[in-house]
Amino acid sequence: MLAVDLNAYIPVGILVLMAIIFVIVNLAATHVLGPKRHGAEKDIAYESGMNPIGTARKRFNVRFYILAMTFLVFDVEIIFLYPWAVTFTKLAPQSDEATLFLGRIMFFIATSILAYIYAWRKGVFRWD
Amino acid sequence: MADRLPMVDKLWFILPEVALFLGVVVIFIMGLSHSKRVRDMLPMITCLSLAVAFGLTWWVYEGSRGQTLLSVNPNLMLMPMVGKYVKMSACAIGIILAMVSVGSVDRRLEAAVAAGHLPFDPIRANRGEFYAFFLLSLMGVMLTCNANDLIWLFLALELTSLPTYIMVAISRPPRVAQEAAVKYFFLGAMATAIFLYGFALLYGSTGTMILTEMQRAFAAQAKADVVNSFGIIGMILAMLGICFKIAAAPMHFYAADVYEGAAAPVTAFLAFVPKTAGMVAIILLLTTLGWSGHPSTGLPEPIMTTLWMIAVLTMTLGNLGALLQRSVKRILAYSSIAHSGYMLIGVIAGPANNGINAVLFYLLVYGIMNTAAFAVLAALERRGQEIETMEDLAGLRIKHPGMAVVMAIASGSLLGVPPLLGFFAKLYLFIAGIQAGQIVLVVIAGLNTAISAWYYLGLVTLPIMAKPSAQSETIVRSPFPWPRIAGIVTAVAVVVLPLFLGPLIRASQAATTPASLTTGVTISK
Repeated sequence: MLAVDLNAYIPVGILVLMAIIFVIVNLAATHVLGPKRHGAEKDIAYESGMNPIGTARKRFNVRFYILAMTFLVFDVEIIFLYPWAVTFTKLAPQSDEATLFLGRIMFFIATSILAYIYAWRKGVFRWD
Repeated sequence: MADRLPMVDKLWFILPEVALFLGVVVIFIMGLSHSKRVRDMLPMITCLSLAVAFGLTWWVYEGSRGQTLLSVNPNLMLMPMVGKYVKMSACAIGIILAMVSVGSVDRRLEAAVAAGHLPFDPIRANRGEFYAFFLLSLMGVMLTCNANDLIWLFLALELTSLPTYIMVAISRPPRVAQEAAVKYFFLGAMATAIFLYGFALLYGSTGTMILTEMQRAFAAQAKADVVNSFGIIGMILAMLGICFKIAAAPMHFYAADVYEGAAAPVTAFLAFVPKTAGMVAIILLLTTLGWSGHPSTGLPEPIMTTLWMIAVLTMTLGNLGALLQRSVKRILAYSSIAHSGYMLIGVIAGPANNGINAVLFYLLVYGIMNTAAFAVLAALERRGQEIETMEDLAGLRIKHPGMAVVMAIASGSLLGVPPLLGFFAKLYLFIAGIQAGQIVLVVIAGLNTAISAWYYLGLVTLPIMAKPSAQSETIVRSPFPWPRIAGIVTAVAVVVLPLFLGPLIRASQAATTPASLTTGVTISK
């Protein structure tokens, strides 16, 4: 017999319902209650306080993106290194587990270094 | 303490994958070398790493350490010996696929560099990346077999698929390849979302990610007569998502376009590698549910019905779709869909009726015969372009007798003509289906085989018997001999391997023997 206690999911349902209502109420309230004043100054795009220059449809050199991807490798690496460092101090020194942990992170760092060598050989950092 | 640090024990079984990974690293860097000689060595390094992984797989599973680990900790993997069989066949077919792919990537660039029109610029070269992703995707298949938790399974399936998206895009210069890759990527991402959601529901209903524990949880639920329906829904969603990987209905729509857009060697790769990973994943997931609920086949009724419908739809839509095509690659794409449908018969039949080993055997056979057909497409060309339509193949025997025979043997085997390997594989599947009492399903599959005869016989007779057309006169051999060699090797295998049927089938049976399969849980209705 396949059966499930759907009652257990009532709180989830209520939460979903509340989320939907919250969004609708907020959007409607801003629309109805919010003051609307237009003007030349007010209608320009917000650029963190700077006066916008030119169009937003400017094309960037593809090298920026490639460099950004390379940055991502190291960015993600640090995200992983941090929790690893916190956990590693709690392990018994020189135990099997600690060796395994160290081996894993060494492998992980080695892969990032290889990724770096690859990017360098590929010519990502050449800017001519 | 048997399960102290099970991860370390599991690492032993992924040594072949580690070997492949080292190959990947070497290939990534070598592909950027300025020396043409080094770059031309890439396919060889690929084959070499696959050969090493092949040997390592045997050693890891058969060696005393592997045997001890498996006997000490039976919960290490759900179906441990599947790994040996699937990994060894993936490596063997991988070597053939690497041979087929020689000379397809970066051909224009290499020609321009060789002629001195262009200096070699690593940022324009794709060959190293192609072979590295080639190995990474095979690594994904191999890791799928070792999966014992949902996260590992998910990552392995993604490792299989993600490199293939890029391989499609860089396989050849025309825009159609890029269009195919984008289509493939977005539909693949959607399929991934579906099966990931299924995994989440499976976790929710059993409270564990680990497949062996999931099996026990489902068994306990079945004993108490309350199988969580969210578990069943999760299983169905997971299967539907994985249907994308095996190109089964209702997720088969991408196949024709993507297979047509990619270069022939990549298409051959797509037809074998993700399909194998998907089939292994489906088998692993269904094994957690047990195989003894349905009176004849063992699956719970809703799963059974879903699988049955998927199988029938897949084979029928695949074969009917192929009837309408003129492009050889599109025909082979639809044939790939149809073959997934046949394989699902084995999944439905279950391990008690030799269904699972029939599927594993069929995967190997399908890999061999399908690669033979694509090797022909990769070995011939017209003005540097791939051959496409049936007319191109007409009367091939006059100028390229070898390739004409290979095409005929491959298509005959795909159809299931008796003395060839494909016949025995199909027979084995159908016998499993009949043993499971799925007479209707086997009859439908038989009718489908009859439908498929129309287009497969076209592929058999056109190269051998038809007169050469104006188009086929202009076809020349590709300057690279390796696709031809791969085609001849696989065609010979299709003819000769039936003599070694006994050992091959015993190997596939050994892959599914450990009791974890047949002592599944009992789920009553």
